[in-house]
Amino acid sequence: MKRYITGVFLLVGIAFLIVGCGNQNEHLAKGKELIKSDKRRKEERAVHEFKLAIEQEKDNAEAHYLLGFYDSQDFYELNEPEWNQASIAQRGQHMFKAYQQKPREYLEILVFDTLRDDDVDVQNAALEALTLVYQKGERKLLLNQLEKAIKSKDNRDRHDAQWVMANIGRSDPNTMVPILVELLEHKQMGTRLNAVKALGEIGSEEAIPVLAALIDSGSARRVRDREVAEVRQLAVAALGKIGGKAVPELVKITQNKGSSLRVDAIRALSSLGDEKAVQPLLDALNEKSSREIVVELGN
Amino acid sequence: MHKKILLIFIYVGVLLTLGCDNVYYDERLHIEVKRLDSDLENRWSTSGVVVNSIAVNGAAEKADLSTGELISYVIGEYPIYSSADFSRAVKKAMDDDNNMLLYLKNKQPLRIATRKSGDKVGIVVEGDDPVRIKNIIAGTPAANSKNIQIGDIVEKIVDERKIQGLKDYQKTIDEFATQNASVTLRTTELIGVKIAAVTALGNLGDARAVDALIDILKNNRDLALRKAAARSLERLVALSELSDLFQHFQQENVNQLPADMLDRSQLESAEILGLLLVDRTANTATLEAPFGIQFRHRSEALHQKVNEGKLVELTEQYIQKDTEPDQEIRRACLSILGVLRPTSAIDPLSKVLRDKDEIPGIRFQAGLGLSHIGEPAADALIAVFNEADATAKDIAASALGNIGGTVARDFLINALDTTDDPAIQLTLVDAIAKIGDESSLSALDRQRQRFQEDDSAIRIFIDEVFSRIRTPQE
Repeated sequence: MKRYITGVFLLVGIAFLIVGCGNQNEHLAKGKELIKSDKRRKEERAVHEFKLAIEQEKDNAEAHYLLGFYDSQDFYELNEPEWNQASIAQRGQHMFKAYQQKPREYLEILVFDTLRDDDVDVQNAALEALTLVYQKGERKLLLNQLEKAIKSKDNRDRHDAQWVMANIGRSDPNTMVPILVELLEHKQMGTRLNAVKALGEIGSEEAIPVLAALIDSGSARRVRDREVAEVRQLAVAALGKIGGKAVPELVKITQNKGSSLRVDAIRALSSLGDEKAVQPLLDALNEKSSREIVVELGN
Repeated sequence: MHKKILLIFIYVGVLLTLGCDNVYYDERLHIEVKRLDSDLENRWSTSGVVVNSIAVNGAAEKADLSTGELISYVIGEYPIYSSADFSRAVKKAMDDDNNMLLYLKNKQPLRIATRKSGDKVGIVVEGDDPVRIKNIIAGTPAANSKNIQIGDIVEKIVDERKIQGLKDYQKTIDEFATQNASVTLRTTELIGVKIAAVTALGNLGDARAVDALIDILKNNRDLALRKAAARSLERLVALSELSDLFQHFQQENVNQLPADMLDRSQLESAEILGLLLVDRTANTATLEAPFGIQFRHRSEALHQKVNEGKLVELTEQYIQKDTEPDQEIRRACLSILGVLRPTSAIDPLSKVLRDKDEIPGIRFQAGLGLSHIGEPAADALIAVFNEADATAKDIAASALGNIGGTVARDFLINALDTTDDPAIQLTLVDAIAKIGDESSLSALDRQRQRFQEDDSAIRIFIDEVFSRIRTPQE
């Protein structure tokens, strides 16, 4: 009896599997086929297939991902329902649905592939999806992937991760700023560079002391304590983006006469428009020009 | 035994810390110098040390060295009293950079450089005090210099040492100080710092910057910096003109006002300068953060400072070619006068307009400046028309058309009767049409009769003027 029941279950299971696969494959496979082809308006037609695939199987991860990836408002008339559905936000939603079905797989794809696409709309849709992951999904998993990307050997990964971290960090600096600050200690220069950039983009005043210390490290006693010039230069720009309480730090940098970063600091102050910058700038104008000066040694 | 080892450790430790220190106290010059940040070397290939502090009453303070100066060369002298002095000095001076300055009596100093270290300079000397040149060896740097002759008296050799860092500085000063009563420091000003500061001060729109910028324009020798100062002054003047607009915001202590209660042209200027965002459909004018908001607190003070008179006095001078050779600066000054419109500028502007050797674009700008001043400038423009060359006549006629008024109008109408130059006739017609009152139009109508027979450009042009005037009425 038991064996009989097991057998029935098995059969039913196999039947479902076959039917399931068949349904899924039909439109999804057709859509994928179209993308690979060189047919006219292939993306537009493929998108149509992906929509049908989702109608049949609303939780199909791949169909959702591909719809999010390929859909475009260019395919539709302005303001018709499908045009609205092809917005960046909606495309991001589809990518997020793919993630919900297969979190690990699609998180990796989103961070390391989708963000790298040449199409800015695709990048923005991926950002939208990743923001949803941050808000509703497994935040920890996402942060791990982003950290992995910003520590990658590939500059494009680092840059993409920086962009996402900056965007997420703007709405939740309390989580992101400490992570980025920690990355400033990373051994790879490109990672530190991108962490500095992201801190500037986030604009949180919390980052001011660490950035200031990093800039200051150029005069450190020991060579190994000195941050490289490129990172320090970007840190000055980051302070400029933060503005507000960063002004006194920027003023201090304009007064370090042994550094070229004074010029970067002056430029940053110039666009911040803060009154506190005026007197130090006037002082800089009074500095001595190049000259020769004879010192009597009295010996 | 243990104590000994410990002592050695401490000793080594102290040495190591000293070795990688980033400051050095120089007991000979009584100054503390600091290593440059590495960015400077990477970016502008600058080298040297920065003066960190100067001891009171020390040698450097007496020589008027300032903190913050960047010492990039230390220059020492070797006086030559004997042949031995000479060979020792040459060896030392050529060491490092294969480069030295030779001072011969009654001659300009000569730079002598060899291609690689160890190469012969090629001078043989004889005698003691004075030391004379005995021989010049063929194929050496000395032989290539026509200014060295046998029998010349060698006075001294000067060695300019480029300073790479703290250790280099220490070594060089030690070396020179033991044999010289003085050393010369050559300092380098960081390119770009002052230019960036001048540009920033133009952006910030603060009244305190005006005097400093005027000073640079007048007294600095660096053209790039003077140009930047002229541009910044131009911007400050443009900003100061918006004072009225910003005072509306300041008085109400708000950052947003209805756009239609504000002056349209001022709104446009402020928008172009990036201080304000105008939304015409929502009828709002919003100060841009941070600069627009900051500026409303400063605009009044800036306006007063700019209109204090100094700037007018300065620009009236610096629009003249014989005072200011750089055309960019002359243009900036003209633009400032065009905004400030002082009647005292009538004569200086007329002078520029009359100047045949001036660039036509600048003469045109001077004419524009005069038309901005308005009716008080009409007599001067009439004088220019009567006395100056064709280019000036053309510009003056057009400026009089812009000014309008009876004096200008009657003069232009009369001039059209007496002028033969067709190009100027066209300008006159255009200027009269621009005034466009009844007398102007009847004068043009009379001219149309006069040129009736002719198929000249002037008649076609007058016809065009009339069709332009009539179309909107019909």
